[in-house]
Amino acid sequence: MLSLNRLPNALPGEKVVKVLRRDFFIFFKRILFFILLAALPLGFFLAMASVYPILLDGPVSYPLIILAGSGYYLFIWLFFFFSFLDYYLDIWIITSVRIIDVSQEGFFSRKVNELTLNRVQDIESDIQGLWATIFKFGDVKVQTAAEIEDFEFQQVADPEGVKNIIMGLASKAREGQV
Amino acid sequence: MSFPIYYFLFAYLVFLFFWGVFGLIALYHIIKFGFPNFFTFFGTFVFIGGAIILLSVSYNYIAQVDWNTEVSPFQGLLNVNTPFPVTYK
Repeated sequence: MLSLNRLPNALPGEKVVKVLRRDFFIFFKRILFFILLAALPLGFFLAMASVYPILLDGPVSYPLIILAGSGYYLFIWLFFFFSFLDYYLDIWIITSVRIIDVSQEGFFSRKVNELTLNRVQDIESDIQGLWATIFKFGDVKVQTAAEIEDFEFQQVADPEGVKNIIMGLASKAREGQV
Repeated sequence: MSFPIYYFLFAYLVFLFFWGVFGLIALYHIIKFGFPNFFTFFGTFVFIGGAIILLSVSYNYIAQVDWNTEVSPFQGLLNVNTPFPVTYK
């Protein structure tokens, strides 16, 4: 398991400052979506009971409905858990020395990017949209002096606060006060 | 031509097999890459618990069905009776 006490390529004296994930509202929207998916067969069942009630008693149709319903609910339950994993296993770790971006990309595919704070050139926070404004989550883009692509924290809570944390740590890193 | 409806049960069992494989893959990912904290274990527990409940309810309904019932999907297909009377002159 991943541990905050055993970070990948840990440096001496490195301390974890903050661990970030996407704002919980993002996952809450997915929960609502799956509740809607779970409710769909109930509506279909009610429609069938009123239009073709004989299907619910048929010696062949009833077993097929049972199998289809079971398969459907098992599928969306598994799909929901994969959606949870996609939310839960994507993390950003801000330490006193670097930023670590851990991204789960499908099955058996995990990407870890690191950026040392003394290479941070510019930081931008961005909140867009109604729900993002209400619940105060958004993106933080970190421009680097390195040749690697810029870091981006996606849909994190309090992006302005995250920006300030990184700015403070980056200036300390540049001054050699780590 | 007729066949027993437990043939559909075989297809369902194949689906269950692949569902189980992907479920194990999901559990592998959260155990290997998740932090050892309450939320990781709670999420795992909820998934396994929900899966057990769904499988138990499914088994409860499936066990009540007579799977030896024969079905004839092509019965009446070759019936040449037309919906209207045909007369030949």
